Amino acid sequence: MTIAVIYKWAPDAQEASVDTAGRVDFSRAKAQISDYDAVAIQVGRQLADATGQGLVGLTVSGPAGGQPAATKAALARGLDSVLVLADDGLDRLGPSAAASLLAGLVGQLDEVGLVLAGDSSIDVGARMTPALLAGQLGWACLTDVERLDGSASQWSAQRTQPWGVETLSLTGPAVVALSPTAAPLKAPGMKDILAAGKKPVRLVGLAELGLTEPAAGQLKATAHLTGPSRQGVVIDVSDPDAAAQALVAALGQAGLLIEGRA
Amino acid sequence: MTVSYVLAAGQAQVGDLVQAARLVSDQVVALVVGPEAVAQRVAQAGLDQTLWLGEPGPLALEAFAPALAEIVRARPGHIWATRRPADRVLLGAAAAAIEAALVVGPTEVTAQDGLTLVTAPVNGGLALSTVAFTGPVALLMDGGAAPDGPAGAVQPVSGPTASIQLVESQPSVGQTVDLTAATRVVGIGGGLKAASDLPLIEDLAQALGAAVGCSRPVAEGLGWLPKDRYIGLSGAHIAPQLYIAVAISGQLQHMAGCRQADTIVAINTDPAAPIMAQADYVLAGDLYQLAPALTRALAG
Ligand SMILES: Cc1cc2nc3c(=O)[nH]c(=O)nc-3n(C[C@H](O)[C@H](O)[C@H](O)COP(=O)(O)OP(=O)(O)OC[C@H]3O[C@@H](n4cnc5c(N)ncnc54)[C@H](O)[C@@H]3O)c2cc1C
Repeated sequence: MTIAVIYKWAPDAQEASVDTAGRVDFSRAKAQISDYDAVAIQVGRQLADATGQGLVGLTVSGPAGGQPAATKAALARGLDSVLVLADDGLDRLGPSAAASLLAGLVGQLDEVGLVLAGDSSIDVGARMTPALLAGQLGWACLTDVERLDGSASQWSAQRTQPWGVETLSLTGPAVVALSPTAAPLKAPGMKDILAAGKKPVRLVGLAELGLTEPAAGQLKATAHLTGPSRQGVVIDVSDPDAAAQALVAALGQAGLLIEGRA
Repeated sequence: MTVSYVLAAGQAQVGDLVQAARLVSDQVVALVVGPEAVAQRVAQAGLDQTLWLGEPGPLALEAFAPALAEIVRARPGHIWATRRPADRVLLGAAAAAIEAALVVGPTEVTAQDGLTLVTAPVNGGLALSTVAFTGPVALLMDGGAAPDGPAGAVQPVSGPTASIQLVESQPSVGQTVDLTAATRVVGIGGGLKAASDLPLIEDLAQALGAAVGCSRPVAEGLGWLPKDRYIGLSGAHIAPQLYIAVAISGQLQHMAGCRQADTIVAINTDPAAPIMAQADYVLAGDLYQLAPALTRALAG
């Protein structure tokens, strides 16, 4: 049996720039393996070792995701091998398209009973790819999981909900998205990086898998995202008590401190 | 005849979903997973149909994903759900069943010449884009209040389930807080040095009549506050009259959840922190001096 981890070679949205027309430009943002994905790989590594299974990374990306810099970065996190679908046009896929292509990759593996994922990607951030992938595969799915134990097809998961801590059991093939707290992160060491260079990498294209890029909607317009405009009043803080009084006076005048409205 | 499905998993707070769905479809059908009381409450939204998947018993809400996929596959339409974990899983299954496109946090959805036009933030709130879809769309957004119209009919249905069982649920000790309903919120961020310093913030919130929220690292990495208290892209989306962000840097993922506050006050030692450019009142100083000073000023 094999455990798979889906990951994404993607830049952090925080490093993208946006022009005045609301067009997002990722060209100067550096792609990376996010901490979210690193957590998923780490949990996968522990489970694979505990249950004697292999650990394979799956990703769908533009050509850059198939380059050694990308595959090595993923492998250095603890995967045994990677299967990469890299093709032109697969760079900024939405979650639906990504999930349907990832399902195609899962279909390439023998005997996979568990697919792990991080909490979200750092470029799109929709937190929906695991659920959509499970839907594509017809598998069970849980998200926000903080602890995962089990064996080949029987898993026990724990997660915190607003109302408390839940323990769940799941049987059969499943997709599980992990909370960022599911494993402590450590940066890959020199040994991990060297070993990564020798691990198997399988690169495939859309045509080879008989897949086509799923249709997306048609972009009609972009715009700058704005909230209410801000006043930017700077309050001098050299005397904290005077600063506090000035703020309270300003908020009071704006009617923001009326009793009993919280 | 176009249809929209509104998913309700374990709770009936879907008023806004129903309202938005009505604008773009002829029929609105609720798909309710969870206890019958939830289905009855949802049915008060005056829907065309309220389908209830039956008492879950030991099953987790996520176990009903295959049943929902089957219902939606039989008659495709737009699917609406909130961002809660079970809702996301159920929406994922239903959306995948009909290859629906996915949009998170739409600000506007309209139907025009057979197309569905959806405006939503992209890349975690970097910008807005408007996209035209020819087929069904799956939409994730805040649910709004529970409907309270006259009682409606609840129609039980059944379908295949996945094997996910809820073994145990231990209630959290702290009380749950609905940040989205608060008029005033004080948010605390990574600049707090220790959990034992939280009373500084709680005292300020109390003097202000505010709820306490936080940035994600405080709830998720540090675990100093419950997870339902963090504000942002993946947390609560708040729109209070007043938001005081204390020692929060103001990264876009955080701002995506508080940008709609009427008034934002930023307290931060770093005058160049991103929050400072996005606030109405800027106090470039130490929270350990300013929070107690504010509490005193409010009391006096
Ligand atoms: C996909 C994705 C989703 C995310 N979703 C969310 C989300 O929903 N919500 C969210 O909050 N984050 C989210 N994040 C994380 C986000 O990017 C930031 O890392 C996070 O918001 C930073 O929290 P912070 O500002 O509290 O902490 P820090 O970045 O550590 O900032 C601490 C701030 O406190 C100031 N400070 C330090 N000491 C003091 C003092 N004594 N007095 C006053 N100020 C002081 C510092 O100057 C600094 O500005 C997400 C990230 C990703 C990648």
